Amino acid sequence: MGSGSTASLLAAVACVVLAVFPPVASGDAATLESVPDLVKAMYINVESFPCVRLLNHSGQVDPGHDKVIAPIVRFGNRNDQLVQPSAVLLPLNQMTDFFLRVSNDPELYHKIAGVLVEANGIDNMLEFSPDRKFPQQAFAPYSNLSHHWNPTGSGIMWNKYDFPVFLLSEESTQTLQNLADKNEKSANGYLANVAEFDLVMQTTKAGTHDSESCLREQSCLPLGGQSVWTSLPPISNSSTKHQKPIIMVTASQDSASFFRDRSLGADSPISGLIALLTAVDALSHLHDISNLKKQLVFAVFNGEAWGYLGSRKFLQELDQGADSVNGISSLLIDQVLEIGSIGKAISQGYPLFYAHAAGNSSISMKMVDALQSASESLGSDNVKVKPAASSNPGVPPSSLMSFLGKNSSTPGLVLEDFDSQFSNRFYHSTLDGPANINSSSIAAAAALIARSLYILASADLPIDLITLNTIKVNVSLVEELIGCLLKCDPGLSCGIVKSFISPSNSCPSHYVGVFQDLPAGTQFPSYADDISRFIWNFLADRTSSLAGNSSSCTGQCHDEGEICVGAEVEGGGRCVVSTTRYVPAYSTRLKFEDNVWHVLPVNSSDPFSAADPVWTESFWNTIGLRVYAVQATSYDWLVLLIGIIITAASYFAVIVGRSYISKIIKRD
Amino acid sequence: MTVAAGLGYALVALGPAFSLFAGVVARKPFLVLTLLTSTLFWLISLIILSGIWRVFLPIRSGAWWPYAILILTSVAFQEGIRLVFWRLYKKMEEMLDSFADRISKPRLCLTDKMLISLAGGLGHGVAHAVFFCLSLLTPAFGRATFYVEKCSRMPFFLVSAIISLGFLVIHTFSMIIAFNGYDERKRSDQVFVPVVHLIASVMTLINLAPGGCVIGTPLLCVMGAVTLQYCWQMLIC
Repeated sequence: MGSGSTASLLAAVACVVLAVFPPVASGDAATLESVPDLVKAMYINVESFPCVRLLNHSGQVDPGHDKVIAPIVRFGNRNDQLVQPSAVLLPLNQMTDFFLRVSNDPELYHKIAGVLVEANGIDNMLEFSPDRKFPQQAFAPYSNLSHHWNPTGSGIMWNKYDFPVFLLSEESTQTLQNLADKNEKSANGYLANVAEFDLVMQTTKAGTHDSESCLREQSCLPLGGQSVWTSLPPISNSSTKHQKPIIMVTASQDSASFFRDRSLGADSPISGLIALLTAVDALSHLHDISNLKKQLVFAVFNGEAWGYLGSRKFLQELDQGADSVNGISSLLIDQVLEIGSIGKAISQGYPLFYAHAAGNSSISMKMVDALQSASESLGSDNVKVKPAASSNPGVPPSSLMSFLGKNSSTPGLVLEDFDSQFSNRFYHSTLDGPANINSSSIAAAAALIARSLYILASADLPIDLITLNTIKVNVSLVEELIGCLLKCDPGLSCGIVKSFISPSNSCPSHYVGVFQDLPAGTQFPSYADDISRFIWNFLADRTSSLAGNSSSCTGQCHDEGEICVGAEVEGGGRCVVSTTRYVPAYSTRLKFEDNVWHVLPVNSSDPFSAADPVWTESFWNTIGLRVYAVQATSYDWLVLLIGIIITAASYFAVIVGRSYISKIIKRD
Repeated sequence: MTVAAGLGYALVALGPAFSLFAGVVARKPFLVLTLLTSTLFWLISLIILSGIWRVFLPIRSGAWWPYAILILTSVAFQEGIRLVFWRLYKKMEEMLDSFADRISKPRLCLTDKMLISLAGGLGHGVAHAVFFCLSLLTPAFGRATFYVEKCSRMPFFLVSAIISLGFLVIHTFSMIIAFNGYDERKRSDQVFVPVVHLIASVMTLINLAPGGCVIGTPLLCVMGAVTLQYCWQMLIC
């Protein structure tokens, strides 16, 4: 039988010659030039951002599923009911209503195969927050938990959904809308455009439904990352005997959202991070900083959105006297000043900040006073600070809660752009982007912080007003950092980031990620994400005192107390004297032993131990979303039947024709 | 599940070819050789054509006339190739006949000649079907189907399979008509074949019009039937 081999031979050269004749049936022939092109046209891969499965110690939130295939339908009317399992295409502004309804409507819930959230239509959205009305209320150091810090919060992020949810990009929204329209138009029922969600979550496969079991089965990893702290000026080892009291200045670097890769968190909390970096930059220009009475320590915590992982781990490391916090101790912490959400402080033409002081101790009152004198010193810039309303139940959700949980008398203060309710209407949502904040608000906060830190660190010394007035923030640095940390263009490939690290991804995301490192050897972690590494290098660079020899380095420096800044950059970094360290940020209830993570029982001495959700993220192989048209099964069988009939009929005809012709020829 | 559909499309396109192969060609090794040779001929003609047309492709403009020129030149070239094939066959026939004379066996009879031309035509048809349909059908075995925008009533694969079926019939029986025409020096047969080939090829252009596939593909089947009918009439008369 020669035809088989011929066929394969022909197929082999098919691609070469296919270009000659346009695929006869296609109208847009010029665009399809090969079979792979055809496959691409059939299966449209959709750019989208998934919501991935996270587990805590009592169960999971967010979906986790095998391959799901379902027809795409629009869900316009809020009273609609679905006929069959469907992939629902949903405008973002209906997301809250839809998910709230789904949670209360089991009939609808079971008809949903997946949800595709459109990216457009956000211009007229005034508020959207999938987080709770009191985010992370379990960690509040006070009992009044009914206060609504986040009045727009719907809490849909924390419910459990058994279907995949994808956020579409603007381009793919258009594609999906066209397909949904087609599905609405074609009422014949045998053809439908479907979405295929490919999202195999290992925890679903392994049947592990909480953090403890999935960590044991190694189908997930704990959420976490690296926090960074630095001291200004550097702490030299010789001075450990007579250390100064510490003023901690903190900010957080991670946000959360329904869709993990779309967690920018521009106002909450990245505005605070940018203000902290800018304030460090401003203070680094002072010459007499080492003569001040108090030591400034700046810390940027990671994983704060998922149970204050960074701050709580930092405090635990302090207690244990770990290497990562060598040089400071919890007893020395005199004051804690947290920079919260400060990107939206401009209300009536001038920036107005609120100081949320913890407790009523005299020291925290002094901190408010320092902020107010700093605001006065700024004079014509007209930066105002007000103490927060006394009717507030306590400090708003912030890392300060961890410090207060450890020691409720810790004098602390959180600087925010709101009084008793978030001014950020998009808290922990994908819409908390660069458009949600105001760079002059951040610059004002940075100036305020820098000057009040100088006042606070001077303590009872008379304040040198001339020096105080020389403290000025670099406004262009604020703008640059907004571009680097909150936009995709230039994103992390901006100049200042590139001068310190080689980023793995240019589009920034402030989702905490999973803790990929071994907990040991934390001073030089083998894995830290782009943002942490940038913060570490930036802080090390700005807090460094002038090093004697700026020798080139690619890793560690020889001299003790020196670290290598910009080691990843081409041409190597340089050794500087600075006390800048990474501190791991993961749940304090986790312990790494025998190559497996263990969940520790609740520690009775730590009041937050029971509140800790121990978040883990499931392993997954591929996450993908593609759409294509499918035919009804009956149609497929019909085609097969027709094919068989044609073959059989032709065979019959051949037999009959052959015998007939041979008869005729014989007769001749 | 759509393995069924993929198989169905393949059978629509190549089922009759399989029947002819199993019912006629496979019985005589000589015919199998002829079929392979003919396939190779057709392939070479296609490669030469593609080499020439490569310069002008792909056609970016939406106009239909570049396709018409392409089809015209291709048909003319392939008809030329048919003549070359005929000459080669003639030489071979003479050789075989003289060989048969030498070993005092009967010469090729009329049935043999007809079967050779059938195998030759089938070679052309199979090559066409494998090229323009079977290679495109591989994605049809997957989950998805595909509809071209200008043909929203029929799946792309079905259109492709029907076109392939039409050309299989046309190519196969054209060869019988052409060989007969050359042999008996009948002008009408000699003209009929290129004309049918050209008309059928131009008919595929109907598919470029919106919704045209619903008209174009049945018309092509009609052309196939006309060819078959003409061939049949020619044989039994």
